[in-house]
Amino acid sequence: MSRAGPGELSPAVESDSPEERIAARRLRIAARTEARTRLELGEEAQEQEENTEEPRTSQKQVDQSEKRMIKLQTDGTELVTNILVAADARETKRRAQLAEARTLRNEKLENEAKSSLEKFEEVTQNWPVAKAKEIPQDLRDALKSQQQLCMLITEDKNKLINELQHELKSSDDRYVKELKKQAEDVDLMREKMQEQMTSLMKLYRQELDLIENSFDDERKTLLTSNLKKWEQQRKERSDRELEHLLQRIKQKEENEVLLHRLRVANIKEYNMMKLNLETQSEILQQNIQKTKATNQLNQEKLEYSRHVITHRKMETIHIESLQRKRILRLQDSLKNLKVKCASQEKQAQEENQSLTDGYKRSMLEYKDMQKHLRHFAAVDAERFEEIWLMNENEAKALVHKVLETDRVIYEQFLGLAWAPPHVPFMENSGPIQPQHQAKRTAQQFAMQALGEVEEKREMEGESSTAEVAGLDRRTVKKLLELLCDETGFLIESKLLKLLSPLEKDPQSFIKLHLIFSALGIENEEDVYKMAEFFEKYKQQQKDQPEEGISVSNENELVREMDSELVHPNHVVKALHAFTAQYCRPRDLQSQKQSSVLSLEERDDSEDAAYWESMANVIPESKLKVWNALEDALSKYHTVLTERSKILIDTHHLKQQNAELTALLHQYLSQKGNTELKIPPTLVMQLTSE
Amino acid sequence: MPVISMSMGKAPAGINPPVKMLNPAADPRKMRRIIAEDPEWSLAVVPSLKNLCLQHIVNHFEEKPILNELLPSQKAFVLEKLPTFLPLSLTANLISDEGYWRRCCEDRWGQRDVSEYDLSWKRMFFERHLENIIELFIPDQTEPKSVLDVVPLCQNYVRRLKITQLLPPIRKPPKFNEDDASESASDLGDDGPSIDHFDFRILLNKLTNLEELQLVYGVRGCGMNFEWNLFEFTFSDCQFLAKALQSCTTLKILKINQSNVDDDKCRTLVSNLLDHPSLLELDLSHNIIGDRGARALGKLLNRSHLKQLDIYDNKIKGPGAQALAHALSKNTPLESLNLRLNQIGDEGGQALAQALLKNCILLNLHLGANELTEPTATALSHMLVHNSTLKRLNLSCNRLGEDGGKAMEEGMSHNSSLLECDIRLTGVRLESEYSIKKHLHTNQAKGRQDTAASR
Repeated sequence: MSRAGPGELSPAVESDSPEERIAARRLRIAARTEARTRLELGEEAQEQEENTEEPRTSQKQVDQSEKRMIKLQTDGTELVTNILVAADARETKRRAQLAEARTLRNEKLENEAKSSLEKFEEVTQNWPVAKAKEIPQDLRDALKSQQQLCMLITEDKNKLINELQHELKSSDDRYVKELKKQAEDVDLMREKMQEQMTSLMKLYRQELDLIENSFDDERKTLLTSNLKKWEQQRKERSDRELEHLLQRIKQKEENEVLLHRLRVANIKEYNMMKLNLETQSEILQQNIQKTKATNQLNQEKLEYSRHVITHRKMETIHIESLQRKRILRLQDSLKNLKVKCASQEKQAQEENQSLTDGYKRSMLEYKDMQKHLRHFAAVDAERFEEIWLMNENEAKALVHKVLETDRVIYEQFLGLAWAPPHVPFMENSGPIQPQHQAKRTAQQFAMQALGEVEEKREMEGESSTAEVAGLDRRTVKKLLELLCDETGFLIESKLLKLLSPLEKDPQSFIKLHLIFSALGIENEEDVYKMAEFFEKYKQQQKDQPEEGISVSNENELVREMDSELVHPNHVVKALHAFTAQYCRPRDLQSQKQSSVLSLEERDDSEDAAYWESMANVIPESKLKVWNALEDALSKYHTVLTERSKILIDTHHLKQQNAELTALLHQYLSQKGNTELKIPPTLVMQLTSE
Repeated sequence: MPVISMSMGKAPAGINPPVKMLNPAADPRKMRRIIAEDPEWSLAVVPSLKNLCLQHIVNHFEEKPILNELLPSQKAFVLEKLPTFLPLSLTANLISDEGYWRRCCEDRWGQRDVSEYDLSWKRMFFERHLENIIELFIPDQTEPKSVLDVVPLCQNYVRRLKITQLLPPIRKPPKFNEDDASESASDLGDDGPSIDHFDFRILLNKLTNLEELQLVYGVRGCGMNFEWNLFEFTFSDCQFLAKALQSCTTLKILKINQSNVDDDKCRTLVSNLLDHPSLLELDLSHNIIGDRGARALGKLLNRSHLKQLDIYDNKIKGPGAQALAHALSKNTPLESLNLRLNQIGDEGGQALAQALLKNCILLNLHLGANELTEPTATALSHMLVHNSTLKRLNLSCNRLGEDGGKAMEEGMSHNSSLLECDIRLTGVRLESEYSIKKHLHTNQAKGRQDTAASR
């Protein structure tokens, strides 16, 4: 009951059936939230709480009757089963009795058997005694006694049999009695059951009536209470409605007054507005007329402009027709031109054909020319060599001479010890090999690349080729290491064994050396080429469809690529491609060029230097010495020449003197003189004085 | 039937005139529903052609059964009129209408309660039909074919066979008569295998829906012709039955009552019922099963799904009860055990009480009239303190005595699950009986509350 209490709060509890109460109990939580809203309404909630007590009576009634019925039923079943239990008890008792009787009987039988056996033995013992007796009377007596004994035994047995038969009969009787008793019991049980049934039915009906009555009462009370509530609420509602009505009437009156007031005010306002608007309309009409006048003016202007436009239109139509005609004409000309173009195209094709033929012919000629050229080049080379040799010899002679003079000068003029200067070209004969000194070998380069990166500056200063290729030295180094690791198959196994004890750097260097020799890579440039090729190869693998792009374009692309080198798995492939692409053509070229076209390739700057070196056998200092010497010698020469001249003069003068003396002598010696007042000799003396 | 013949007789008279007269509307009599001047005239008397056709179908149903092709209303008409003596081979699988089978049942056996048969008259008819055939089957004389012919017809509908008697072979009666004449009891030993009853092997494996089988190997209502042989349940009978039961995999309930089942027969039955897939209930009451049989039943408990075992009125003593208790202590699915009217004594009672300390499945235990005394009562009271599954306990007709009653009272005071405890005729004092009842009442009230709450 107490559980059902809170269930009442839920909305489901309108009826009194327990199922719904249970449902209501389950919904208790939901009901509580709802109860909150109900509490706001106040009165209703209170009323419902009052209602809660009424269904309880019916529930009580139901519970009570249920309990009563259960009790009655159990009592009834107990009454009925009492018979069964009694029968069971009797049965067990009977069985116990039977068992007891059986044991007694068995004992009795055994006793009897024993006693009869004893008697029988007595009889059998008596037989030999009887046999021993010879006197017939004695024998008869014995026989009689035996007979008596036998009679006793049989009597005993018969007694026993009778007893047993008695027992059998009595048990038969008992069985019949039992059967009867059981039949009675069954009848009794049936009767009792019937009674029970009827009484139970009656009671059930009574209880049902009671429950129904309680439910009816409850319903009635509920109905009355609900009716009351209903009436009350209806009254409330009608009161409220009346109130509302009155309020509305009041409000309506108020509103009417307000309306009237508003209407009056509005009429006034309206009149004012009207006046205003009329004046405004007059003004506007005036404005309209003005605008009309302007309108007319405009119309006329427009008329005029229309005229002008129509005129123009005519003109444009005319021009249009003209243009059309022109278009037609131009189209005709276009057709003609197209025809011409076609014919010209044909012509051009023919020309092209002829030109290609010519080109082929010229190509053949060019090849011939090349042959000739090669021939001439060979000839020229030979001639060049000859001339070179000749010139060289000449130069060498000159140099020799100069040196000799130098020596002479040093030794004879200056009196110094002469040391011959270093003149390597003197041993040289024939045209010099320009690559000889400028390019390092590939091995050296590899050594360097593997060895250090610090010498970068020097390298940058030295090797322009590296900068041209735009390759990082590190990538090259990586590449070389890669090669070292991947292309071990190019090295002989014996060598590998020999190399194994070496350190890493020298070992890899030697390996690289062998690999380069196997690949035919000779110098630094080739190494760079290889690096470049690897870059390209990577590029190609990345964009296979673009294989057709020319190598020069790819070169530029390669420069932009970064240091990621070829995958180790692709190294051998790349190497193969590299050797196929570079080494083979170079071999072919080298075969031809080394013999024939080597001179074409040689740079003349070296030659100039060579010759220069030859020319500069005498260094500047020496030249200065020489110049100073020359100056001095020339001065000396002039002095000498003057002296020689003077010598000659003196000689002449001597000659003159001699001649003069001769003349004088002659003169003096001449006879005239002595006739002279003052002889020459005297003058001579005087001058001398 | 006379009604039909009358209508048949009148039909041509009603039909013929319109055939002759081409315009039926011209005859004013035909257009009128009521003809006042003819006191015997009624339109209802004239059966419609439809009804005549249906009547014809009914009359010739045996030659040409037309039923499923008819409209529902026509079908109902035909089914209502069909005679109940039609051969079963025709009707068994064709007619499923309950009304028809109800008429069949009522014609044959009078008013009957159909609620026992799931409110299915057809099932009732076939079950009772088959029961009758088996109950009147006389071995060696009746042809087994007579049973087998019925099987295909009724195998879909038979769920339960309640056979209240099985007749022995007919060869006996002349002998019996001779013996009767000689008035001696010498016929106890001389009939060997010829005494066997109906062989169930031919039947059970064909009844695919059989769920319950009740058997009594005995003759009902023999009256003054009583003869021990009439109630003989031979060993070969038992073997045949066991084999048959093994083949019947749908069987749920098996009852063999008042059939002199002794230890050996019980063992053969059990050995064939081991691991039976569906058997739930076994009733071997009113037999002479002893301890060995009880041991076999204990084994069966552990190797089957049995929920109810009734072996009341047998000869089970202490050791047998101990074997059963051992089986129970392994928590078999058994829910109800009835050992009424045995002689398990204190030995068995204590063993059972100890087994129930471990068991938490058994709900009902009947130990009425079992020669139990005070020691068992103390053991049971100890059990009641710990066991919380047992609902019903019957100890009536045992000499528990006052001390036993006190022990029970104390045990009950700690128990809250037992709903019924029968201690009538046990020599318990009124006070303890009253207090035990009080406890039971509180337990019942609680149980009722729980069921209400769970609802």
